[in-house]
Amino acid sequence: MSDQPGGHGDGTGGAAAVARVGERAPGRGRVPLRDPANPISRKAIVLWLLEQLLWAAVLSGGSFLLARWIDGDRWSWLPGWVPDHIWWLPVAVAAILFPAAIVEPFWRYAVHRWEFGDDVVYARSGWVSREWAFVPVSRIQTVDKAQGWFERALGLATVEIRTASHAGSSTIRGLDYEVAAVLAESLARRAEELRDDAT
Amino acid sequence: MIDPAEPPPLRPAPAGPVPGEPSEGLPPEGLPSGGRPLGGLPPGPPGGQRPGLPPPGVPPEPLPEPPLRLSPKVLLTDPIRMLPSLFLPLAGVLFLGGFSPGSFVWAAFGVVGSVVYAALRWATFTYRVAGDRLELTRALVSRSVRTIPLERIRGVDVSTPPLHRLLGIAALRIDTGAGGEDKQEGELDGVTVAEAERLKAVLLWHARARTARRARAEAAREDGAAPVSSPAGTAGGHGTALGVPPGAGGSPAERHGAGEATPERVLFVIPRRWLAYGPLSGAYLLTPFALAAGAVGVAFQWGTELRIDGRAVVSAGEWLWGHPALLVAVLVALVLAMPVAGAVMYAVFNWDFTLRAREGYLVAERGLMTRRSVSLERRRIRGFELVEGVAERWAGVARAWAIVTGLGDSQTRGQLMPVVPRAVVLDVVGEAVGPIVTGLRAHPPAARGRRLFRAVFPWLAVAGCAAVAASVWSPLWWAPAVVALLLAAVGVPLGLDRYRSLGHSYDGRRLSVRSGSLRRSQAVVEKRAVVGWKLTQTCFQRRAGLLTVIAGVGAGSGGYAAIDMGEAEGVAFAAEVTPDWLASFVAAEAAETAG
Repeated sequence: MSDQPGGHGDGTGGAAAVARVGERAPGRGRVPLRDPANPISRKAIVLWLLEQLLWAAVLSGGSFLLARWIDGDRWSWLPGWVPDHIWWLPVAVAAILFPAAIVEPFWRYAVHRWEFGDDVVYARSGWVSREWAFVPVSRIQTVDKAQGWFERALGLATVEIRTASHAGSSTIRGLDYEVAAVLAESLARRAEELRDDAT
Repeated sequence: MIDPAEPPPLRPAPAGPVPGEPSEGLPPEGLPSGGRPLGGLPPGPPGGQRPGLPPPGVPPEPLPEPPLRLSPKVLLTDPIRMLPSLFLPLAGVLFLGGFSPGSFVWAAFGVVGSVVYAALRWATFTYRVAGDRLELTRALVSRSVRTIPLERIRGVDVSTPPLHRLLGIAALRIDTGAGGEDKQEGELDGVTVAEAERLKAVLLWHARARTARRARAEAAREDGAAPVSSPAGTAGGHGTALGVPPGAGGSPAERHGAGEATPERVLFVIPRRWLAYGPLSGAYLLTPFALAAGAVGVAFQWGTELRIDGRAVVSAGEWLWGHPALLVAVLVALVLAMPVAGAVMYAVFNWDFTLRAREGYLVAERGLMTRRSVSLERRRIRGFELVEGVAERWAGVARAWAIVTGLGDSQTRGQLMPVVPRAVVLDVVGEAVGPIVTGLRAHPPAARGRRLFRAVFPWLAVAGCAAVAASVWSPLWWAPAVVALLLAAVGVPLGLDRYRSLGHSYDGRRLSVRSGSLRRSQAVVEKRAVVGWKLTQTCFQRRAGLLTVIAGVGAGSGGYAAIDMGEAEGVAFAAEVTPDWLASFVAAEAAETAG
């Protein structure tokens, strides 16, 4: 076997980088796609921070309760060292989740971008893993604009673009409400003009 | 978008029962004018409009039929079908009553009640084709009318379970392609076979009329865009055809010289000896275990009904557990029964599998006890999926499914070919849908590393954990460690084969992706079916310089993935299939290198 499992020279490296997003920009990868033109709203960072911190708190609290339960009851079927060291569990959970909850929103903000040009919606999302979606307007079946609690409080909105296939659909999160409204409106109008069978 | 090479031009001629079709009791062309006492001509003649005349240009609608009832023979089938569920309560009543006259009266009451119920259901259920809708009216307790717009009918299944066949009736199931949310499917269980054929013709005729209307609208819009393709011609043909009752006027062949010359053509009948290939697919192999589990369940259920103590069953189980040799023998017997039972079940379900081409539809028929026929509208077929398991590849056989837009439950209903020799599958599918795409391009070597890693590493990790556990706690843990190690070793050829399976291709009209080893599947999808792209990359893939390209397709499973392509290669593939969608987003530098 001549290949190396992780086989990758560092290839084109920064050469293909698109300067707009900067150092940690996802465009630096060797995926030869340019960045979508528009960033999402900065307020999305706040939204994600709130959500992620909430989750981290809930999970840490849950593991704390579990640890207290195990410590209190000391079930016989558990090997002895488990209850002895059980208090590491909530500590570890918190030590992993809280930094992740703080890093993720900023990382996501650097990755998430969108563009609507040439009758195609081009959106990039993800953080550790990435996703690029291309949805041509002629195949759009519905355009939804949605707002959750936090989103409403922050004046943000999510645009969901659906086609006949889940794999051909796309969701753009963290848009300013006005931007989302204009995007949804223009998508819907253009889809009306271009409508063909869409399947 | 009209593809110039779009395969079957819509048939211009009206439907109706196809001449030469074996429709019981009806002369081939007699449907519209023939001895139907009901007066409802399926699709109405142009003159027979109703007062509220549609504007010119809108196809004339059929006259409303008087409401019809199901065949009275359902009075026989319904109670008999209810018997199994009635049997236990009846037996219980008789046992509990100690077979006293009173208990017999109660049992008789139950039987009579079920017959009366069936009769009431029959008397209060009517259906009719009214204008552009099918109305199913049930007035048993409250009056409910289910209305199915004929436009939305995408397929009609006719099935004849054994009892139905004995009585010469059939069950008609109407597929509207409705998703899970609004269950609008209709069922007519118990119409005569002739009536089933008539209804099927009427309902599908409307589906075709809709097709024609849309094609005409499209043609008008695109205005002579595609000279080779048929929309304009077809629509014109339909324009005249729409006004003519089906069957009247020239035969389809006369009116439309080209294309399929015969209205119905048998594409393939699978010889019975090929049923022996069935178990290779792995289908139904677990039947013996399912039967055994079912038997245990029945023992428990009947135990309570027949006053056999549940504890007796449990103690029988304990006794069996106490005799390991016997238990092992039972297990071995079950395992040995697997291929046999699998073959029998497969044969029962796929008996005399026949694929026909008829009037813009592909009709697949199969089954021994219950004869099942599925009509797939050809216009909605977007490609096919060829599936080969490990054993099947070794034996050179394969299966195929059609990829159809708006077909629910496509795994069972879209089947084009059960397990038959690969060459035959390709032959028949090539004629029914289109040829397979060959010359798949291999994925980069880094993908092989990933396939190997994913096939081997999880088992190595399990083995490592088990080994640690073995050294810390008890040597019993060595057993799972060894098993996991063996599985990891098997993972090597598996991973290599998974890599060999990976491939993608585009021939200018259809794209194809392949993946999998234990179940290798190659999808061939027309370009026009692609509704979007999704490129995904995990952090591991990024380190290996790979990504997965998923073509979103509004049919079949919704998306077909080319796993672990090179980064530039993946983007280039999507851009190759749909250049106008991606052109402006591909980085300039890459566009030069990737061409």
